[in-house]
Amino acid sequence: MADETHAPQQHSPSHHSSSHSGGRPPGGLGGPGGSRPPGPRRGKRNYVRKKKVCRFCVDKVDLIDYKKPEILQSFVQERGKILPRRMTGTCARHQRWLTVAIKRAQNIALLPFASEL
Amino acid sequence: MEERMYDLIFICRPDTPEAEIDKLIATLTHAVEEKQSKVEKVEKWGTRRLAYRVKKLREGFYVYMVLRSGHGELFKELERRLRVNDAVVKYLTVRLDEEIKRQEKLSKRREKRNARRPRKTAPAAPGAEQAATAAG
Repeated sequence: MADETHAPQQHSPSHHSSSHSGGRPPGGLGGPGGSRPPGPRRGKRNYVRKKKVCRFCVDKVDLIDYKKPEILQSFVQERGKILPRRMTGTCARHQRWLTVAIKRAQNIALLPFASEL
Repeated sequence: MEERMYDLIFICRPDTPEAEIDKLIATLTHAVEEKQSKVEKVEKWGTRRLAYRVKKLREGFYVYMVLRSGHGELFKELERRLRVNDAVVKYLTVRLDEEIKRQEKLSKRREKRNARRPRKTAPAAPGAEQAATAAG
């Protein structure tokens, strides 16, 4: 379940903006007064954002271990940047612990500071 | 003095013979015990890929130790020894007792909360138990 919510977030932030403009095909204007049911019609953006849940809260983690790079890896961009909360859905408290854990892992070469190409 | 928990990780060159690593661990353990401290755990993780190059190496032999000590100055000595040793390329000491304390507190609180106010699944269990005793 958690994987589902994380999958689209692996992309770079630029993906977001491109989905705005390209999300609606030109045919979307068709059918004025037609078959569309009278529902809530909010602007142009009409997609439902999936609610992101903190993965550490789901797993009831009380201590984020810096010695497990496999877990930390999924909260880091490909080049080694720490992903922001808004991308991963991590709660504030766990994000705070997570950054500390990631930085420790970087110090002992378990995670890259910036991965080379 | 109150005892504290520490993690000590160091990385050796992958080509160092294991006997030498064992010797290093022994000297460290000796230094720890001299200060009335304890080595709780020693783990040899073996050769792992490093996330970035350290001293031109791409791999390293990781050794992980958990220490319990009331003497902070012990780590000055341990780090000096690690720095002096040619086989060691990187080391890290982390004080962990506060985090462990926090973890214990949180787990305890969670346990208590679960015991006091059982979740949806919990009330079903006693009911089933009663049914079982009635049947038996």
